Amino acid sequence: MAGASASAASHSLAPWGHRVSSWLDYTINGLIVGNVYALVAVGLALIFGVSRLINFAQGSIYLVGAYIGWVAVVQLHTPLPLTIIVVAVAAAVVGLIIERFGLRPLQNSVRIAPLLATIGISFVLDQLVMLTFSPNPRALPSQLPDVRFQVGGGTIGPLDLLIAGVGLTSALLLFAFLRYSKLGWAVRATAQDRDAAMQMGVDVNRVNQAVFGIAAALGGVSGMLVGMYYNQIDTAMSLQATLKGVVAEVVGGAGNVPGAVIGSLLLGLVESYGVAVFGTSYRNLFAFLLLVVVLVLRPNGLFASARQAPPEPLTGTFIAPSRPVRIPRWALAVAAGGFAVLPFFPVSFYVLQTLINAWLLGMLALSLTLVAGTIGQVSLGHAALLAIGAYSSALLSLTFSVPVGLAIIGGGLMSAALGTALISPSFRLRGHYVSIATLAIGEIVSLVILNWESVTRGPIGISGIPPLSLFGYDLISPPSIYWFSFAVMVVLALLQARLLTSHLGRSFRAIRDDDVAARAYGLSLNRYKSLAFIFGGFAAGVSGGIAAHLYSYINHETFNTQQSILALTVVILGGLGNVVGAILGSVALVGLPEVFRIAAEYRILIYGIVLLLLVRFRPQGLLGTI
Amino acid sequence: MTNASGEPLLALTGVNTFYGQAQVHFDLSISVARGHIVCLLGGNASGKSTTMKIILGLVKPRSGEVSFDGASLLGLSTPQIVRRGIASVPEARRLFADMSVRENILMGAFVRNDRDAVAQDLDKMLTLFPKLGQRLSQRAGSLSGGEQQMVAMARALMSRPRMIVMDEPTMGLSPLYVDRVLELIRTINQEGVSVFMVEQNASLALEIAHEAYVLQTGKIVLSGPARALKDDPRIRDAYLGGSEAA
Amino acid sequence: MAERSTLMLSLRGLTRRFGGLTAVDAIDLDLASGELISIIGPNGAGKTTLFNLVTGLDRPDDGAVSFEGQDVTGLSPERLAAEGIARTFQLGRVFGNLSVMDNVLIGAHTRLRAVKPAVPVIGPLLELGLALLRPASVKAEEERLREELKAILARFGERLLPRIDQPAYSLSYANRRRVEIARALALKPRLLLLDEPTAGMNPTETAEMQGLVAELKAEGLTILLIEHKLEMVMRLSDRVIVMDEGKKIAEGPGEQVRGDPKVIEAYLGHGLATERESAA
Repeated sequence: MAGASASAASHSLAPWGHRVSSWLDYTINGLIVGNVYALVAVGLALIFGVSRLINFAQGSIYLVGAYIGWVAVVQLHTPLPLTIIVVAVAAAVVGLIIERFGLRPLQNSVRIAPLLATIGISFVLDQLVMLTFSPNPRALPSQLPDVRFQVGGGTIGPLDLLIAGVGLTSALLLFAFLRYSKLGWAVRATAQDRDAAMQMGVDVNRVNQAVFGIAAALGGVSGMLVGMYYNQIDTAMSLQATLKGVVAEVVGGAGNVPGAVIGSLLLGLVESYGVAVFGTSYRNLFAFLLLVVVLVLRPNGLFASARQAPPEPLTGTFIAPSRPVRIPRWALAVAAGGFAVLPFFPVSFYVLQTLINAWLLGMLALSLTLVAGTIGQVSLGHAALLAIGAYSSALLSLTFSVPVGLAIIGGGLMSAALGTALISPSFRLRGHYVSIATLAIGEIVSLVILNWESVTRGPIGISGIPPLSLFGYDLISPPSIYWFSFAVMVVLALLQARLLTSHLGRSFRAIRDDDVAARAYGLSLNRYKSLAFIFGGFAAGVSGGIAAHLYSYINHETFNTQQSILALTVVILGGLGNVVGAILGSVALVGLPEVFRIAAEYRILIYGIVLLLLVRFRPQGLLGTI
Repeated sequence: MTNASGEPLLALTGVNTFYGQAQVHFDLSISVARGHIVCLLGGNASGKSTTMKIILGLVKPRSGEVSFDGASLLGLSTPQIVRRGIASVPEARRLFADMSVRENILMGAFVRNDRDAVAQDLDKMLTLFPKLGQRLSQRAGSLSGGEQQMVAMARALMSRPRMIVMDEPTMGLSPLYVDRVLELIRTINQEGVSVFMVEQNASLALEIAHEAYVLQTGKIVLSGPARALKDDPRIRDAYLGGSEAA
Repeated sequence: MAERSTLMLSLRGLTRRFGGLTAVDAIDLDLASGELISIIGPNGAGKTTLFNLVTGLDRPDDGAVSFEGQDVTGLSPERLAAEGIARTFQLGRVFGNLSVMDNVLIGAHTRLRAVKPAVPVIGPLLELGLALLRPASVKAEEERLREELKAILARFGERLLPRIDQPAYSLSYANRRRVEIARALALKPRLLLLDEPTAGMNPTETAEMQGLVAELKAEGLTILLIEHKLEMVMRLSDRVIVMDEGKKIAEGPGEQVRGDPKVIEAYLGHGLATERESAA
């Protein structure tokens, strides 16, 4: 999942923009790309069907498939049929390993655990690929002759035919497997009723293995084909593939295998026609808008009846009940005092710089721990709130010459208002669907920033943002920046702690524990989720605003999914909903890699591993969930 | 009881079960003699369904012993328990709604590898449940509740079990089907399959059972031969009073 | 007793279908103020679905619900709670991570006034501000509620009071059911729907619960009760409604319903009824 979202615009599954000449070409391209999506989406649908899990690591397997393909083609010079087999088998092995060691131990864990685990696995796999092969793009030749055949008004090449052929063959094999093999029956039975299947003697672990193996083989082959299609592979492919697969799967109806195929083709066509009309950089925007529209209007997918309950068992206790660690007030006061006087001691600027980063992350974590922990909306797109705050504050101070202090508050307010408005359509969603929607909304924000050039200056970004200043005094020295960010974070933390002891705190937690019972007692989900996002959005927006003035340059990639996931790791480390935990988690995750002098490229890997270990061994975090 | 060596086919001994901190079973002991129909009666939340889950290995007791044919079932997974010869008719049937009736019935034979014999058994099911013959290719979810119950029973029999456990087999069925289901349970039993059933409907279950247990908030409060219990006034106090008005 | 004539709840032709199954089939029901009506019937008869329709957690496909003379069909559960309808759930749905007191305070949520100013549009923002600033009026309201709710918890003797700050997940099953009922009472309901309040309780606990429901009835509360324990139903109910397969198959005073052959057949088991017939 590494890499920024919007870099995808350059090497997502874009058509050969210059070569495409007719609508037929756009249609062919849409169907071919749809075929590739289908290979990913079918795997996601199989996994969701059997274990009600959205596998966020699917894109990483796709990435692994592409690189195994590269090794096979470029280094081992295998012929194409053998390459496909090698990739399928190797990817399947990766899938089996993920299932066995990453997910099976979590079977009896809280229900959000497997989702978080797949996110962690995805981080780890992507980073391992990046460390092994370097982040630079590589060419992946298709070994096929470069000829094109005239078909009607369009053209089609051997690679198109290969992709179509692989797609069709996979669909037929999968159909035959599900319809005629004993294991296939077991897969279908498990998907429909897991307990009943077990009572027929079905070994659900074997079914899970089969499904992960198949999904991984298809995903890996898909990654390889896409790499050949563009003759380029890089690590940013992973997140994009997961996102597109998830879009296609949800459009087709989560867990619905034929639906996933149709959803994929539809997505391919929508994107291709969208690109034809608006241009390449809008491709992903259409994909995510389609997702949000489907989630809001037909959360069960296009092919299910709207009144049917979503196939989503994620209700009830979703966080681990625990008794939070109570830290006495005086201890907190002493700790805060200690950090406040730190710049008076001979500490290096480097230490202050690290802690400033921790305070900024702490504000984001405060925001996320309220949203994901207290009211239970596990957001995967939280960095978008940073981006909104940063752009608003930067533009307010640059364009309207608003004093920086006020501009930052303006950024916070903008993030609160806009963030809440953007997320509000998904307030009726639950569980994994919230995570998907927030992820998509995060991507949409990033893509709008990229494309709305008249306001955001598009891909160029905003430079020359004035430095932090307060009442006319510039905050340039590290101690002054340190004090400023620390003070802002402490104020936000105190406000949030106060909020938690109010009637809103208990209302938020009641909605998280059981939204049905909460509604039956008069709690409007829209109202209280809005309030949580307004409060949380403000904190995140302020963090983004401060960051903008600190960095002096921002662009659409400054605040990316990696940051969203890092914040989530921080929040889980500290304990969901736990204010002190959010800050402790930030200091730990920002500070420890510095203390141990861990090279930057290994950090993301370590965050992924920390997330996995937490989910497995201490889901309530260090200080406990509240 | 012909081949009964005194040792029961299924025995739960001193079982204590917890959901989190809440205790569901208190020192529960139940035994099913070979060839018998035994029913477990009780109201909602009395711990009946959990008893089924314990037998099937879906829930693990904190203490106590569950044995089948003299061997412990504890520590076995559900599929392993099924392979030992216990089949289940779960609560509310739990058919595979999007699979055909034929596929549902054959799923019951999942643990078997003798294809020809399975095919024969399928034919046998169609003589036992003639109505299902015309429905074989239909989606199981499209059947009526009574027909679904027939499929669930056929599915359970397909594994050639030594014992069938049934969770509220008459729940939600129209009276016509209730009679049919009871008849079938008797028929199945007469062919040598022991039956353990959980029921809320006391008067009905006691008609066909050999022995019965009454469960109340996790404790057995009454047990004995069904005939004796049927006329026992205590069942009214212990149980929901189903026989009171009758 | 004059109030008895006022109609509290009225259902007309209420229907809910799930796929091919009609879970609630054209149910008519009139509940007068101060009355207690029990709904009985076998599992799967549609009783809980009926509760969901009355409390807005589910929408009817057909028919109408009116509460105190107003049409409330299809209103959201939060609106209906604000109108004064409170319910408990069949298997108990307390907020596991909240303390007993917080659970009950959520029950009183619709009665918060000081902290929830009835101002359009910016009302929610004021609520956020007031929650943070907590002026005297807000503090006083919270304190008053806490005292009042302690009195409600005291109705359960020493069962809940000593555990007021414990998280609900740590309570015994019976205590969690009690918390649920306390939470419902905290709403000061005008209509209370109890879904099997004694499920899973032993005879002593059942007797206590029966006593409490009798008290509530004596205090004039209008109650709709789903219950399997017939003895309790017979003691408490003004009228009994029997449902089977979504339909109302009998209605009347307990004694009358109990003797109805249709009821015996549906509720107590057809098998027995037919055998008796054939034996006779």
